[in-house]
Amino acid sequence: MGESEILETHLQELRRGTVVLACLRLLETPGYGYGLLEELDRRGFPTDANTLYPLLRRLEKQGHLTSEWNTDEARPRKFYRTSTTGARLASALTDDFRSIVAAIDALPKED
Amino acid sequence: MTAPTLTDRYVDAAMRTVPEQQRTDLATELRGSIDDQIEARVAEGLDAESAERAVLTDLGDPDKLAAQYTDRPLWLIGPRYYLDWWRLLKLLLWIVLPCAAFGVALGVTLSGAQLGEVVGTTIVVLFHTTVQLCFWVTLVFVVVERSSAVSLPAMPSLRGVSGAAGLPGVATPRGVGEWTVDQLPEPRESGASRGDMITSLVFLAIGAGAVLWDRFVGLAYSASGGGWMSFLSSDLWPWWIAGLFVVMALEAVLAIVVYVVGRWTVPLAVVNGVLALAVAIAAIWLLFQGQLVNPEFWPALIPADSAPTVERIISILLGFVIAGVAVWSTIDAYLKARRAR
Repeated sequence: MGESEILETHLQELRRGTVVLACLRLLETPGYGYGLLEELDRRGFPTDANTLYPLLRRLEKQGHLTSEWNTDEARPRKFYRTSTTGARLASALTDDFRSIVAAIDALPKED
Repeated sequence: MTAPTLTDRYVDAAMRTVPEQQRTDLATELRGSIDDQIEARVAEGLDAESAERAVLTDLGDPDKLAAQYTDRPLWLIGPRYYLDWWRLLKLLLWIVLPCAAFGVALGVTLSGAQLGEVVGTTIVVLFHTTVQLCFWVTLVFVVVERSSAVSLPAMPSLRGVSGAAGLPGVATPRGVGEWTVDQLPEPRESGASRGDMITSLVFLAIGAGAVLWDRFVGLAYSASGGGWMSFLSSDLWPWWIAGLFVVMALEAVLAIVVYVVGRWTVPLAVVNGVLALAVAIAAIWLLFQGQLVNPEFWPALIPADSAPTVERIISILLGFVIAGVAVWSTIDAYLKARRAR
Protein backbone atom coordinates (compact mmCIF):
# COMPACT_ATOMS: atom_id res chain seq x y z
CA MET A 1 0.00 0.00 0.00
CA GLY A 2 1.44 3.36 -1.04
CA GLU A 3 1.57 6.41 1.21
CA SER A 4 -1.33 8.11 -0.56
CA GLU A 5 -3.46 5.00 -0.24
CA ILE A 6 -2.75 4.82 3.49
CA LEU A 7 -3.67 8.51 3.83
CA GLU A 8 -6.85 7.83 1.85
CA THR A 9 -7.81 4.97 4.16
CA HIS A 10 -7.26 7.08 7.29
CA LEU A 11 -9.25 9.98 5.88
CA GLN A 12 -12.02 7.59 5.03
CA GLU A 13 -12.02 6.22 8.57
CA LEU A 14 -12.20 9.75 9.91
CA ARG A 15 -15.09 10.82 7.67
CA ARG A 16 -17.08 7.63 8.14
CA GLY A 17 -20.30 8.52 9.91
CA THR A 18 -20.33 12.17 8.90
CA VAL A 19 -22.38 11.15 5.85
CA VAL A 20 -25.13 9.86 8.15
CA LEU A 21 -25.09 13.16 10.02
CA ALA A 22 -25.16 15.18 6.80
CA CYS A 23 -28.05 13.14 5.37
CA LEU A 24 -30.15 13.52 8.50
CA ARG A 25 -29.57 17.28 8.56
CA LEU A 26 -30.14 17.82 4.84
CA LEU A 27 -33.30 15.71 4.75
CA GLU A 28 -35.08 18.06 7.14
CA THR A 29 -36.17 19.27 3.70
CA PRO A 30 -37.45 16.22 1.77
CA GLY A 31 -35.10 14.96 -0.93
CA TYR A 32 -34.61 12.01 -3.29
CA GLY A 33 -31.59 9.83 -4.01
CA TYR A 34 -29.78 11.57 -6.80
CA GLY A 35 -30.68 15.09 -5.64
CA LEU A 36 -29.21 14.29 -2.22
CA LEU A 37 -26.09 12.81 -3.83
CA GLU A 38 -25.47 16.11 -5.65
CA GLU A 39 -26.22 18.17 -2.58
CA LEU A 40 -23.81 16.13 -0.45
CA ASP A 41 -21.12 16.54 -3.07
CA ARG A 42 -21.66 20.30 -3.27
CA ARG A 43 -21.50 20.67 0.51
CA GLY A 44 -18.25 18.80 0.87
CA PHE A 45 -19.43 15.27 1.70
CA PRO A 46 -18.49 13.39 -1.46
CA THR A 47 -20.28 10.04 -1.35
CA ASP A 48 -20.62 7.11 -3.75
CA ALA A 49 -24.07 6.34 -5.10
CA ASN A 50 -23.71 2.69 -4.12
CA THR A 51 -23.04 3.80 -0.54
CA LEU A 52 -25.78 6.41 -0.27
CA TYR A 53 -28.76 4.41 -1.57
CA PRO A 54 -28.35 1.47 0.83
CA LEU A 55 -27.65 3.96 3.65
CA LEU A 56 -30.97 5.73 3.04
CA ARG A 57 -32.76 2.38 3.17
CA ARG A 58 -31.03 1.46 6.39
CA LEU A 59 -31.87 4.77 8.07
CA GLU A 60 -35.46 4.36 6.93
CA LYS A 61 -35.60 0.87 8.39
CA GLN A 62 -34.26 2.21 11.68
CA GLY A 63 -37.00 4.83 11.70
CA HIS A 64 -34.71 7.82 11.28
CA LEU A 65 -36.15 8.65 7.87
CA THR A 66 -39.65 8.45 6.45
CA SER A 67 -40.35 8.13 2.75
CA GLU A 68 -43.03 8.95 0.27
CA TRP A 69 -43.35 8.34 -3.46
CA ASN A 70 -43.83 11.39 -5.64
CA THR A 71 -45.47 10.41 -8.93
CA ASP A 72 -46.40 13.91 -10.08
CA GLU A 73 -43.50 14.08 -12.49
CA ALA A 74 -42.58 11.84 -15.41
CA ARG A 75 -40.04 9.95 -13.33
CA PRO A 76 -41.44 8.56 -10.03
CA ARG A 77 -39.15 9.46 -7.13
CA LYS A 78 -38.93 8.30 -3.58
CA PHE A 79 -38.62 11.31 -1.29
CA TYR A 80 -37.02 10.86 2.11
CA ARG A 81 -37.53 13.08 5.13
CA THR A 82 -35.90 13.08 8.56
CA SER A 83 -38.28 11.81 11.24
CA THR A 84 -38.47 13.06 14.83
CA THR A 85 -36.15 10.31 16.03
CA GLY A 86 -33.88 11.07 13.07
CA ALA A 87 -33.74 14.74 14.12
CA ARG A 88 -32.85 13.65 17.65
CA LEU A 89 -30.10 11.39 16.31
CA ALA A 90 -28.81 14.24 14.14
CA SER A 91 -28.55 16.62 17.08
CA ALA A 92 -26.86 13.95 19.22
CA LEU A 93 -24.35 13.30 16.42
CA THR A 94 -23.78 17.03 15.91
CA ASP A 95 -23.14 17.56 19.64
CA ASP A 96 -20.72 14.65 19.65
CA PHE A 97 -18.92 15.94 16.60
CA ARG A 98 -18.53 19.37 18.22
CA SER A 99 -17.08 17.81 21.34
CA ILE A 100 -14.65 15.83 19.16
CA VAL A 101 -13.58 19.08 17.46
CA ALA A 102 -13.11 20.72 20.87
CA ALA A 103 -11.13 17.71 22.08
CA ILE A 104 -8.90 17.83 19.00
CA ASP A 105 -8.32 21.58 19.50
CA ALA A 106 -7.31 20.85 23.08
CA LEU A 107 -4.64 18.37 21.95
CA PRO A 108 -0.97 19.47 22.17
CA LYS A 109 -0.36 21.83 19.25
CA GLU A 110 1.74 20.80 16.29
CA ASP A 111 4.63 23.16 15.50
CA MET B 1 -40.62 -5.05 -27.76
CA THR B 2 -37.20 -3.48 -27.61
CA ALA B 3 -34.08 -5.31 -26.47
CA PRO B 4 -33.36 -4.87 -22.75
CA THR B 5 -30.92 -2.05 -22.06
CA LEU B 6 -27.87 -2.38 -19.84
CA THR B 7 -29.87 -0.59 -17.12
CA ASP B 8 -32.67 -3.17 -17.39
CA ARG B 9 -30.16 -5.94 -17.03
CA TYR B 10 -28.45 -4.22 -14.11
CA VAL B 11 -31.69 -3.66 -12.18
CA ASP B 12 -32.79 -7.25 -12.85
CA ALA B 13 -29.47 -8.58 -11.63
CA ALA B 14 -29.61 -6.47 -8.46
CA MET B 15 -33.20 -7.47 -7.65
CA ARG B 16 -32.57 -11.21 -8.00
CA THR B 17 -31.48 -11.56 -4.38
CA VAL B 18 -33.82 -8.93 -2.88
CA PRO B 19 -36.89 -10.25 -1.00
CA GLU B 20 -40.07 -10.21 -3.07
CA GLN B 21 -41.97 -7.58 -1.06
CA GLN B 22 -39.23 -4.94 -1.39
CA ARG B 23 -38.51 -5.62 -5.02
CA THR B 24 -40.87 -3.26 -6.85
CA ASP B 25 -40.11 -0.36 -4.55
CA LEU B 26 -36.34 -0.85 -4.73
CA ALA B 27 -36.32 -1.47 -8.47
CA THR B 28 -38.28 1.71 -9.23
CA GLU B 29 -36.03 3.80 -7.00
CA LEU B 30 -32.82 2.27 -8.34
CA ARG B 31 -33.92 2.75 -11.95
CA GLY B 32 -34.91 6.37 -11.24
CA SER B 33 -31.53 7.07 -9.64
CA ILE B 34 -29.65 5.49 -12.53
CA ASP B 35 -31.67 7.51 -15.04
CA ASP B 36 -31.00 10.70 -13.05
CA GLN B 37 -27.28 10.00 -13.05
CA ILE B 38 -27.23 9.18 -16.77
CA GLU B 39 -29.10 12.40 -17.52
CA ALA B 40 -26.55 14.40 -15.55
CA ARG B 41 -23.66 12.82 -17.44
CA VAL B 42 -25.35 13.45 -20.79
CA ALA B 43 -25.81 17.08 -19.75
CA GLU B 44 -22.05 17.18 -19.15
CA GLY B 45 -21.59 16.22 -22.81
CA LEU B 46 -21.22 12.42 -22.81
CA ASP B 47 -23.19 10.37 -25.34
CA ALA B 48 -26.03 8.27 -23.92
CA GLU B 49 -24.33 4.91 -24.23
CA SER B 50 -21.04 5.85 -22.55
CA ALA B 51 -22.99 7.70 -19.86
CA GLU B 52 -24.99 4.54 -19.08
CA ARG B 53 -21.85 2.43 -19.00
CA ALA B 54 -20.04 4.88 -16.73
CA VAL B 55 -22.93 5.14 -14.25
CA LEU B 56 -23.40 1.38 -14.02
CA THR B 57 -19.66 0.81 -13.68
CA ASP B 58 -19.58 3.27 -10.77
CA LEU B 59 -22.45 1.47 -9.07
CA GLY B 60 -20.40 -1.73 -9.20
CA ASP B 61 -21.35 -5.38 -8.87
CA PRO B 62 -25.17 -5.57 -8.61
CA ASP B 63 -24.98 -8.50 -6.16
CA LYS B 64 -22.82 -6.40 -3.86
CA LEU B 65 -25.26 -3.50 -4.07
CA ALA B 66 -28.17 -5.84 -3.31
CA ALA B 67 -26.31 -7.23 -0.29
CA GLN B 68 -25.85 -3.69 1.02
CA TYR B 69 -29.53 -2.93 0.48
CA THR B 70 -30.61 -5.97 2.42
CA ASP B 71 -27.83 -5.94 5.07
CA ARG B 72 -26.58 -9.34 3.99
CA PRO B 73 -23.01 -10.14 5.06
CA LEU B 74 -20.50 -10.57 2.25
CA TRP B 75 -18.33 -12.91 4.25
CA LEU B 76 -18.69 -16.50 5.42
CA ILE B 77 -17.75 -15.87 9.04
CA GLY B 78 -17.31 -12.30 10.21
CA PRO B 79 -15.30 -10.85 13.10
CA ARG B 80 -18.16 -11.51 15.53
CA TYR B 81 -17.83 -15.28 15.33
CA TYR B 82 -14.39 -15.79 13.82
CA LEU B 83 -12.55 -16.47 17.10
CA ASP B 84 -15.28 -18.76 18.42
CA TRP B 85 -15.18 -20.70 15.16
CA TRP B 86 -11.38 -20.96 15.16
CA ARG B 87 -11.13 -22.00 18.83
CA LEU B 88 -13.83 -24.64 18.52
CA LEU B 89 -12.33 -26.03 15.32
CA LYS B 90 -8.86 -26.30 16.86
CA LEU B 91 -10.23 -27.94 20.00
CA LEU B 92 -12.26 -30.48 18.03
CA LEU B 93 -9.36 -31.32 15.73
CA TRP B 94 -7.06 -31.84 18.72
CA ILE B 95 -9.55 -34.17 20.38
CA VAL B 96 -11.03 -36.03 17.43
CA LEU B 97 -8.03 -36.62 15.17
CA PRO B 98 -5.76 -38.40 17.69
CA CYS B 99 -8.69 -40.53 18.91
CA ALA B 100 -9.70 -41.39 15.34
CA ALA B 101 -6.12 -42.22 14.32
CA PHE B 102 -5.52 -44.43 17.34
CA GLY B 103 -8.89 -46.17 17.08
CA VAL B 104 -8.71 -46.84 13.35
CA ALA B 105 -5.10 -48.03 13.44
CA LEU B 106 -5.90 -50.36 16.32
CA GLY B 107 -9.05 -51.69 14.69
CA VAL B 108 -7.42 -52.34 11.32
CA THR B 109 -4.44 -54.01 12.97
CA LEU B 110 -6.67 -56.27 15.05
CA SER B 111 -8.48 -57.33 11.90
CA GLY B 112 -5.16 -58.72 10.71
CA ALA B 113 -4.04 -56.13 8.15
CA GLN B 114 -0.45 -55.52 7.08
CA LEU B 115 1.44 -52.42 8.20
CA GLY B 116 1.04 -50.71 4.81
CA GLU B 117 -2.72 -51.16 4.88
CA VAL B 118 -2.90 -49.90 8.46
CA VAL B 119 -0.97 -46.72 7.59
CA GLY B 120 -2.94 -46.19 4.38
CA THR B 121 -6.35 -46.64 6.01
CA THR B 122 -5.42 -44.40 8.91
CA ILE B 123 -4.28 -41.59 6.61
CA VAL B 124 -7.44 -41.82 4.52
CA VAL B 125 -9.65 -41.78 7.62
CA LEU B 126 -7.72 -38.83 9.08
CA PHE B 127 -8.12 -36.90 5.84
CA HIS B 128 -11.86 -37.54 5.67
CA THR B 129 -12.33 -36.74 9.35
CA THR B 130 -10.49 -33.43 8.96
CA VAL B 131 -12.50 -32.41 5.91
CA GLN B 132 -15.82 -33.39 7.46
CA LEU B 133 -15.05 -31.71 10.77
CA CYS B 134 -13.96 -28.46 9.12
CA PHE B 135 -16.94 -28.45 6.80
CA TRP B 136 -19.67 -29.07 9.36
CA VAL B 137 -18.27 -26.76 12.03
CA THR B 138 -17.88 -24.00 9.45
CA LEU B 139 -21.37 -24.61 8.08
CA VAL B 140 -22.91 -24.20 11.54
CA PHE B 141 -21.09 -20.90 12.02
CA VAL B 142 -22.07 -19.66 8.56
CA VAL B 143 -25.71 -20.32 9.46
CA VAL B 144 -25.32 -18.63 12.85
CA GLU B 145 -23.66 -15.63 11.19
CA ARG B 146 -26.65 -15.25 8.88
CA SER B 147 -29.42 -15.88 11.38
CA SER B 148 -28.32 -13.73 14.32
CA ALA B 149 -30.68 -10.83 14.91
CA VAL B 150 -28.04 -8.21 15.71
CA SER B 151 -26.65 -6.61 12.60
CA LEU B 152 -23.52 -4.52 12.70
CA PRO B 153 -24.10 -0.76 12.77
CA ALA B 154 -24.35 1.04 9.49
CA MET B 155 -20.86 1.75 8.25
CA PRO B 156 -21.01 3.80 5.07
CA SER B 157 -17.77 4.01 3.19
CA LEU B 158 -16.86 7.24 1.51
CA ARG B 159 -15.84 7.80 -2.03
CA GLY B 160 -12.48 6.28 -2.81
CA VAL B 161 -11.09 3.14 -1.25
CA SER B 162 -13.93 0.81 -0.37
CA GLY B 163 -13.91 -1.88 2.24
CA ALA B 164 -11.52 -0.27 4.71
CA ALA B 165 -11.03 -1.91 8.09
CA GLY B 166 -13.79 -1.57 10.68
CA LEU B 167 -13.59 0.93 13.47
CA PRO B 168 -11.65 -0.50 16.39
CA GLY B 169 -13.52 -0.06 19.63
CA VAL B 170 -16.71 1.25 18.10
CA ALA B 171 -18.25 -1.72 16.37
CA THR B 172 -16.79 -4.22 18.82
CA PRO B 173 -17.84 -7.63 17.56
CA ARG B 174 -19.59 -9.84 20.05
CA GLY B 175 -19.41 -13.55 19.63
CA VAL B 176 -21.02 -16.43 21.45
CA GLY B 177 -21.07 -15.02 24.97
CA GLU B 178 -19.08 -12.13 26.36
CA TRP B 179 -15.35 -12.52 26.97
CA THR B 180 -14.24 -12.27 30.59
CA VAL B 181 -10.80 -12.23 32.21
CA ASP B 182 -11.58 -15.64 33.70
CA GLN B 183 -11.09 -17.11 30.23
CA LEU B 184 -7.42 -16.10 30.15
CA PRO B 185 -5.30 -19.20 29.59
CA GLU B 186 -3.57 -20.66 32.65
CA PRO B 187 0.20 -20.27 32.65
CA ARG B 188 1.55 -23.37 30.93
CA GLU B 189 3.42 -25.99 32.88
CA SER B 190 7.11 -25.85 32.09
CA GLY B 191 7.51 -29.54 32.86
CA ALA B 192 10.75 -28.73 34.67
CA SER B 193 9.58 -28.17 38.25
CA ARG B 194 10.77 -30.09 41.30
CA GLY B 195 7.39 -31.87 41.32
CA ASP B 196 7.87 -33.03 37.73
CA MET B 197 11.31 -34.41 38.57
CA ILE B 198 10.04 -36.24 41.66
CA THR B 199 7.10 -37.69 39.71
CA SER B 200 9.46 -38.98 37.00
CA LEU B 201 11.83 -40.54 39.51
CA VAL B 202 9.01 -42.16 41.51
CA PHE B 203 7.50 -43.68 38.37
CA LEU B 204 10.89 -44.97 37.22
CA ALA B 205 11.45 -46.52 40.68
CA ILE B 206 8.01 -48.14 40.61
CA GLY B 207 8.70 -49.44 37.08
CA ALA B 208 12.04 -50.93 38.10
CA GLY B 209 10.48 -52.40 41.24
CA ALA B 210 7.68 -53.99 39.20
CA VAL B 211 10.18 -55.60 36.82
CA LEU B 212 12.18 -57.02 39.74
CA TRP B 213 9.03 -58.17 41.54
CA ASP B 214 7.86 -59.84 38.34
CA ARG B 215 11.22 -61.60 38.00
CA PHE B 216 11.55 -62.88 41.55
CA VAL B 217 7.94 -63.26 42.72
CA GLY B 218 5.58 -62.94 39.75
CA LEU B 219 2.77 -60.57 38.85
CA ALA B 220 -0.10 -63.02 38.35
CA TYR B 221 -1.38 -65.84 40.50
CA SER B 222 -2.71 -68.99 38.93
CA ALA B 223 -3.59 -72.06 40.93
CA SER B 224 -3.36 -74.34 37.88
CA GLY B 225 -0.09 -72.75 36.77
CA GLY B 226 1.52 -73.51 40.09
CA GLY B 227 1.25 -70.28 42.04
CA TRP B 228 2.80 -66.88 41.24
CA MET B 229 4.12 -66.52 37.72
CA SER B 230 6.09 -63.91 35.77
CA PHE B 231 4.56 -61.81 33.03
CA LEU B 232 7.86 -61.08 31.29
CA SER B 233 9.70 -63.94 29.67
CA SER B 234 12.53 -65.37 31.77
CA ASP B 235 14.79 -65.30 28.67
CA LEU B 236 14.99 -61.54 29.04
CA TRP B 237 17.04 -61.99 32.19
CA PRO B 238 19.71 -60.79 32.61
CA TRP B 239 20.79 -58.87 29.50
CA TRP B 240 17.54 -57.37 28.15
CA ILE B 241 16.47 -56.43 31.66
CA ALA B 242 19.91 -54.95 32.32
CA GLY B 243 19.55 -52.89 29.14
CA LEU B 244 16.14 -51.70 30.32
CA PHE B 245 17.63 -50.64 33.66
CA VAL B 246 20.39 -48.71 31.88
CA VAL B 247 17.79 -46.80 29.83
CA MET B 248 15.72 -46.17 32.96
CA ALA B 249 18.80 -44.88 34.76
CA LEU B 250 19.46 -42.54 31.82
CA GLU B 251 15.86 -41.34 32.03
CA ALA B 252 16.32 -40.63 35.72
CA VAL B 253 19.47 -38.64 34.93
CA LEU B 254 17.55 -36.80 32.21
CA ALA B 255 14.76 -35.89 34.67
CA ILE B 256 17.35 -34.45 37.06
CA VAL B 257 19.15 -32.55 34.28
CA VAL B 258 15.86 -30.99 33.13
CA TYR B 259 15.20 -29.86 36.71
CA VAL B 260 18.71 -28.42 37.09
CA VAL B 261 18.62 -26.63 33.73
CA GLY B 262 15.19 -25.29 34.70
CA ARG B 263 13.47 -26.04 31.39
CA TRP B 264 13.23 -28.49 28.51
CA THR B 265 15.62 -27.64 25.65
CA VAL B 266 15.62 -29.11 22.16
CA PRO B 267 18.71 -31.32 22.79
CA LEU B 268 17.13 -32.65 26.00
CA ALA B 269 13.92 -33.34 24.12
CA VAL B 270 15.91 -35.21 21.48
CA VAL B 271 17.62 -37.34 24.16
CA ASN B 272 14.19 -38.05 25.66
CA GLY B 273 12.88 -39.06 22.23
CA VAL B 274 15.84 -41.37 21.58
CA LEU B 275 15.42 -43.11 24.95
CA ALA B 276 11.65 -43.49 24.47
CA LEU B 277 12.22 -44.82 20.96
CA ALA B 278 14.89 -47.30 22.11
CA VAL B 279 12.57 -48.81 24.72
CA ALA B 280 9.57 -48.86 22.38
CA ILE B 281 11.41 -50.44 19.45
CA ALA B 282 13.04 -53.08 21.60
CA ALA B 283 9.79 -53.90 23.38
CA ILE B 284 7.71 -54.08 20.20
CA TRP B 285 10.34 -56.17 18.42
CA LEU B 286 10.51 -58.62 21.32
CA LEU B 287 6.73 -58.65 21.55
CA PHE B 288 6.23 -59.73 17.98
CA GLN B 289 9.12 -62.18 18.14
CA GLY B 290 7.19 -63.76 20.98
CA GLN B 291 10.07 -63.14 23.36
CA LEU B 292 8.64 -60.41 25.56
CA VAL B 293 5.88 -62.22 27.44
CA ASN B 294 6.34 -65.42 29.39
CA PRO B 295 5.01 -68.11 26.98
CA GLU B 296 3.25 -69.87 29.84
CA PHE B 297 1.50 -66.72 31.02
CA TRP B 298 -1.66 -66.66 28.84
CA PRO B 299 -2.27 -70.42 28.64
CA ALA B 300 -2.21 -70.53 32.43
CA LEU B 301 -4.84 -67.82 32.81
CA ILE B 302 -7.14 -68.45 29.85
CA PRO B 303 -8.79 -71.65 28.57
CA ALA B 304 -6.45 -73.25 26.04
CA ASP B 305 -8.79 -72.99 23.02
CA SER B 306 -9.09 -69.17 23.14
CA ALA B 307 -5.59 -68.43 24.42
CA PRO B 308 -3.96 -67.83 20.99
CA THR B 309 -6.66 -65.31 19.95
CA VAL B 310 -6.52 -63.45 23.25
CA GLU B 311 -2.76 -63.46 23.13
CA ARG B 312 -2.71 -62.02 19.62
CA ILE B 313 -5.19 -59.25 20.45
CA ILE B 314 -3.45 -58.36 23.70
CA SER B 315 -0.09 -58.32 21.94
CA ILE B 316 -1.41 -55.83 19.37
CA LEU B 317 -3.00 -53.69 22.10
CA LEU B 318 0.22 -53.78 24.06
CA GLY B 319 2.20 -52.80 20.96
CA PHE B 320 -0.08 -49.82 20.38
CA VAL B 321 0.15 -48.70 23.98
CA ILE B 322 3.97 -48.94 23.94
CA ALA B 323 4.18 -47.00 20.68
CA GLY B 324 1.58 -44.48 21.88
CA VAL B 325 3.43 -43.78 25.11
CA ALA B 326 6.73 -43.29 23.27
CA VAL B 327 5.18 -40.95 20.68
CA TRP B 328 3.35 -38.99 23.36
CA SER B 329 6.45 -38.61 25.52
CA THR B 330 8.49 -37.42 22.55
CA ILE B 331 5.92 -34.87 21.36
CA ASP B 332 5.26 -33.63 24.90
CA ALA B 333 8.96 -32.98 25.56
CA TYR B 334 9.38 -31.30 22.19
CA LEU B 335 6.39 -29.00 22.78
CA LYS B 336 7.70 -28.04 26.20
CA ALA B 337 11.12 -27.31 24.72
CA ARG B 338 9.61 -25.15 22.00
CA ARG B 339 7.45 -23.25 24.49
CA ALA B 340 10.42 -22.61 26.78
CA ARG B 341 12.49 -21.00 24.02
